[in-house]
Amino acid sequence: MTRYVMTIDLRRCVGCQTCTAACKGANATPPGIQWRRVLDIESGEFPDVRRTFLPVACMHCGDPPCEHVCPTRATTKRADGLVAIDYDLCIGCANCVMACPYDARSIVHEPRYAYGDSPMASEAKRFDPARIGVSMKCTFCKDRIDHAERTGKVPGVDPEVTPACVNSCISGAMGFGDIDDPESSVNKLLAETQHFRMHEELGTEPGVYYVWDMS
Amino acid sequence: MKPFNPRAVELAAPKQQRNWDWRAAANFICGGSGGGLLLVAAFAGLDAFATRVAVLLGLALIACGLTCVWFEIGRPWRAMNVYRHFATSWMTREAVVALAVFATGALAIFTGSVVLTVVVGACGLAFLYSQARILAANKGIPAWRHPASVPLMVSTGLAEGAGFAISAAALAGAGPGTRLLGLLLVLLAVRVWCWRRFLGGLTRSGAPVAALKVLDAFGPRFQTVGHGLPAVVLVAALIGLPGRSMTALLAGLLVVASGWVMKYTLVRRAAYTQGLAVDHLPVRGRGPSGPAAKPGWKMMPGGS
Amino acid sequence: MEAAQPKSVKRVPSYCYNCVSGPDLMNVKVVDGVATEIEPNFAAADVHPAKGRVCVKAYGLVQKTYNPNRISTPMKRTNPKKGRNEDPGFVPISWDEALDIVAGKLKAVRAKGLLDEAGLPRVAVSLGHGGTPSNYMGTFPAFLAAWGDVDFSFGSGQGVKCVHSEHLYGEFWHRGFTVASDTPNARYVIAVGANVDVTGGPCAVTRHADARVRGYKRVQVEPHLSATGACSAEWVPIRPKTDPAFLFALIHVLVRENGLQKLDIPFLRDRTASPYLVAPDGLYLRDPHSGKPLVWDENSASAVAHDTPGAKPAVAGCYRVGKAVVVDADKERREYSEVEGKTAYEMLSEHIEKYSPEWAETICDVKAATIRRIANEYLEAASIGETITIDGKTLPLRPVSVTLGKSVNNGWGAFECCWARTVLAALVGSLENPGGLVGTTVRLNKSRDNRHLSVAPGEDGFMVQYFNPTSKEEWQQSPSTRNLHQTLVPIVGANGAWSQALGPTQLAWMFQNERPDDWSMPMPTLPEVWLVYRSNPSISFWDTRHLAETVARFPFMACFAYTVDETNYMADVLLPEATDLESTQMIRMGGTKYMEQFWDHKGVVLRAKAVEPQGEARDFTWITTELARRTGLLEPYVKAINKGISGVSPLQGEGYDFRLDPATPPSSEQVWDAVCRAATRTMSEGREEHDLKWFEENGFYTVPMSRLEWYLTPTMEQHGLRYELPYQERLMRAGRELGRRLHEKKMNWWDEQLSEYTALPEWHDVPGRWIRNLEKSGAKAADFPFWLLTTKSMQYHAGGNAAIEVMHEVAQNLRGHAGVIMNAKTAASLGIAEGDRIEVRSHIGATYGKAALVQGVRPDTLVIIGQFDHWATPFARTMEAPSLNSIAPMSLDLTDATGSGADIVRVAVRRMEGRAAA
Repeated sequence: MTRYVMTIDLRRCVGCQTCTAACKGANATPPGIQWRRVLDIESGEFPDVRRTFLPVACMHCGDPPCEHVCPTRATTKRADGLVAIDYDLCIGCANCVMACPYDARSIVHEPRYAYGDSPMASEAKRFDPARIGVSMKCTFCKDRIDHAERTGKVPGVDPEVTPACVNSCISGAMGFGDIDDPESSVNKLLAETQHFRMHEELGTEPGVYYVWDMS
Repeated sequence: MKPFNPRAVELAAPKQQRNWDWRAAANFICGGSGGGLLLVAAFAGLDAFATRVAVLLGLALIACGLTCVWFEIGRPWRAMNVYRHFATSWMTREAVVALAVFATGALAIFTGSVVLTVVVGACGLAFLYSQARILAANKGIPAWRHPASVPLMVSTGLAEGAGFAISAAALAGAGPGTRLLGLLLVLLAVRVWCWRRFLGGLTRSGAPVAALKVLDAFGPRFQTVGHGLPAVVLVAALIGLPGRSMTALLAGLLVVASGWVMKYTLVRRAAYTQGLAVDHLPVRGRGPSGPAAKPGWKMMPGGS
Repeated sequence: MEAAQPKSVKRVPSYCYNCVSGPDLMNVKVVDGVATEIEPNFAAADVHPAKGRVCVKAYGLVQKTYNPNRISTPMKRTNPKKGRNEDPGFVPISWDEALDIVAGKLKAVRAKGLLDEAGLPRVAVSLGHGGTPSNYMGTFPAFLAAWGDVDFSFGSGQGVKCVHSEHLYGEFWHRGFTVASDTPNARYVIAVGANVDVTGGPCAVTRHADARVRGYKRVQVEPHLSATGACSAEWVPIRPKTDPAFLFALIHVLVRENGLQKLDIPFLRDRTASPYLVAPDGLYLRDPHSGKPLVWDENSASAVAHDTPGAKPAVAGCYRVGKAVVVDADKERREYSEVEGKTAYEMLSEHIEKYSPEWAETICDVKAATIRRIANEYLEAASIGETITIDGKTLPLRPVSVTLGKSVNNGWGAFECCWARTVLAALVGSLENPGGLVGTTVRLNKSRDNRHLSVAPGEDGFMVQYFNPTSKEEWQQSPSTRNLHQTLVPIVGANGAWSQALGPTQLAWMFQNERPDDWSMPMPTLPEVWLVYRSNPSISFWDTRHLAETVARFPFMACFAYTVDETNYMADVLLPEATDLESTQMIRMGGTKYMEQFWDHKGVVLRAKAVEPQGEARDFTWITTELARRTGLLEPYVKAINKGISGVSPLQGEGYDFRLDPATPPSSEQVWDAVCRAATRTMSEGREEHDLKWFEENGFYTVPMSRLEWYLTPTMEQHGLRYELPYQERLMRAGRELGRRLHEKKMNWWDEQLSEYTALPEWHDVPGRWIRNLEKSGAKAADFPFWLLTTKSMQYHAGGNAAIEVMHEVAQNLRGHAGVIMNAKTAASLGIAEGDRIEVRSHIGATYGKAALVQGVRPDTLVIIGQFDHWATPFARTMEAPSLNSIAPMSLDLTDATGSGADIVRVAVRRMEGRAAA
């Protein structure tokens, strides 16, 4: 079996939003729509204050609540662990948006562009009408993973089949790979560190592991 | 274009959901009442005409709710895709039940058959239940996903149905029967019990502070105006004080209106998302780790 | 993800140098001729410390290219009146017309002479942030070289927004124009305001992340909890501008509480001037014959010249010297006999006694116990005695350092901070040794590509220095530039390419409007022609409202323009250059460069033209060549290119000759093809030659470099040289001489600055200078109870990309962007809630923004990220973001001896009426 997961080493992340911007570029998301972002969370009181940078996106859950509620089967959990959306089936009912406990999904009802009502050449080139009025979210750069399937390359190892955010991360905070493969780098990292998955108590079996200390 | 300006501090905290607006709320509001009304109509002991009116009203309410939703969804012309996931999706099930509701409802009105009326009533209950489960299946909204939201939604639908039935009967001039008044009184008691159970349970299990703030502020008004007041009025009608039709109408409308406001509050105003959280603050170099951070929630022992 | 299937997809290798921490490598994905994405260039993963990755800014370059607000054709002004409220009435013109207008002005200047009646260059050029423009302006440097005298005085922020004192003193003490921790080997870093996880670029971010996972400790000493502070092991919220006191106390703990025996005695003895004997008058005791500074030789128990073979100089102590001389300012010599000489270390030890942690606590608002603990942790982590072997050579491993950030290492107090942190490194032997404090580049000395080559023996056993002369004969009494860099700042020199630009840039702006009463030099003039590229001083300097008014008075201004902005709003001609992805250029990469760009490889990288320029925008090299041709400077311009100016190496060298014909205007492709070939020939020492086409496919070329090049100490050792620490006799003398010269000219307006020239820095109420300044202007200190600071943003950095929508969008995920960061409790006491619109008012004006309430900032401090307040730049002007620059004064009182200031101002804050915005 294969289950692709992401590891995010919170010890490394500096909150720079390079992954946010790289994702926006790679997936041509409209202004205001971020399939992933890095949150800036403060806790404590002056002077004992902590600031934590928390990258968040679709957790590609093992038991995705979005998939359960989807009335159209546009949202599916693939055999390799990716939670995918078929834009041609989705009716944009937003039930999945409500079901997701990770604020990962969004729907855009009208085209939006960076500067006013007209697209720039780069936006026009990549505008996809199929994504209007339907649910969208991080795909783990599905096309790249599919490409791996065809070429035998290894996601998380070969950049061309690795999600754009992971490739872009300048602090090396993000990893990607098959958690069912004992030799994968994600498995090795998780073996030697302490980590958590967000809102695990909700039974979603998230596919994103947050590393916070060595083991 | 003006730049997009969210505030960083709010991004991790629970946010009021913005995808289901008044149109989605209208489906729960009208559809729930409609489903409840269909069930009540089957057992309220109304005369044949009043039953037909009640069924028609029930169908109209459900249709109105579904129409509102149709206007909300992003791809209305593919709405039929809603039927593709009966296995787990309560929205699909709701849509299937809606077909049954309309089919049996039309037949019942046309034939006046008591049996069909009972079948419609059962379908109405199923519709109501499906709606309740739609809400509860949404793990992203703590106030909805609490298991006690299901009986709350069902009980309010039934109470509203009874309220509608009483109002209809009062307006029809026949005046509601004691059985119906008594039923409403019982349903009110059930609803307030469900509400208290829901809010208590939600508070205990934890929810976004903002959601609890909305619900806590709403609770006393809901209990007083939505339950205490109509109960007094109902009791007055039951013990035979004059103007029974008018008092019953008042009670019915109060129950319906309060239920609708409660559902609007739940679906819109208290519908805060889960938000995002860190279970352990990371160790930076030789620095310390730290406790969990869950913006927008009161941290509770054992919770995360 | 494309809707339509693309016909062609290619990836064009390039670089990003949008901030000083570049270059980093990237690929531009081009679909059917349209740039659609920026991606890392993983082909460089093995040579680039950040593994071929670029930071967030680069991901805005696609939008930058296609931004509809770009200036797409040359334009000329039709409204002769200039000002913020005057619509310039720009109308499109042809390139021919535009270039003829500019060339006409330049030719007229040449006809009159390059210098005007005040002796100042008639042509001024302003280039933006930290030398980054030179990585985008093609052959323009060759044009400037061909031109001759140019005034770079009108800065857009250098001196006040950069790490100015670090540049000057860092380069003086250890050839560190920028100074960093040797992060790959570091174990303990005290970062005093150094915001390296924001400004250090991917190389620094990657390395510090590795270091965190490895378990190093970084202590962030800063009034607010920056992203770097957030990622540190400990945050010490120090009172603004009291950093020297904190650092003095660290020295106190090392020297007075731990003592010499626990310090790196061999380093202090052999590599510093610690053993030099100081006379009671504060000057070095010198050998009467050779004039060399004396040390006390423990072997012979006598005073000997510092470089006496076999001597074992005493680091500490007082010694009686029979015969000696001292040399004061203007070479005044005094003779001493039987004089008591204290070693420089002894002087330091006595000097630092009063600066205990308990004393510092009262100044810095940091507990004495915390200061003491940090000092002791630093000393322990220094692991004195440990060694490391690098490329077969055994070196000391001293994995500790103190790094300084903007506003700590510029403006008053910065000299003290730079001195203290360099002394802290010297005390434990971590200065320019593995794991310690390293300089990474030089700009005031040559060679700019190899700082080791700038090390040569100079006076007194120290490195050679090229101070601006202060002797009676040589002092430049009539300034040659409008920022008076040679007249006022000896240490900035005139030797390096950047010396001029690093003068007191705010003086150039200030003195256009008013001069001190006792000014006795020629009145500064306005430049007749001002050329501006990638620079927006009307936003990025201080007192920006008045600065924009000054800009409006410049008689002729031509701007290379991306969009309309607050500075080019006053321009006469706008020239749209092809931007980052649209033009070609080759630069050096690797080796050791700014910030933490020190690599295990060195080489060159091409910025290949990925897409056709938008509109009528033209390649900078083409524009420059046309300007050269039209001003009659083609021949010297091409010769300058042939010499290697604007390129990487000379176009003629051993075994190769790619020189261009000076009589023919070269095309951009010809220029860069020759540069590519010459560069590879040089880098490979003749083994390889690659042309432009090869680089367009492969992007970069590197050769391995030894890590030994990271550290200067082995080079110092090789030359038998000492670092000029801890005692600053040379600076003290230079200051005395400068004072004499100015006083001879009856000028006392620089006296306060002269107080900085001390042998051992004293604490002088640094923050009090800002309070006294506002009181002097008639305001009451009590009315402005808060400090306002700025901090940088990785998304915007210096703000040249403020017009790019996606940068704004992603920056909003971080707290405080486009707002005013303030302490939540303070805000509550003022009735201010999150998101409330607030006014931040200084004694010269007000700026407005939304309150961003946090716990991670001192209660007495407000912070505004970046520099905004745009009123002309499309998109940016809709942000309604506040800016310190609008309300920080330019004042001689707030200018230090290097000519630098700092981003800090006293303010009041209040909530504006109306409810909090959603």
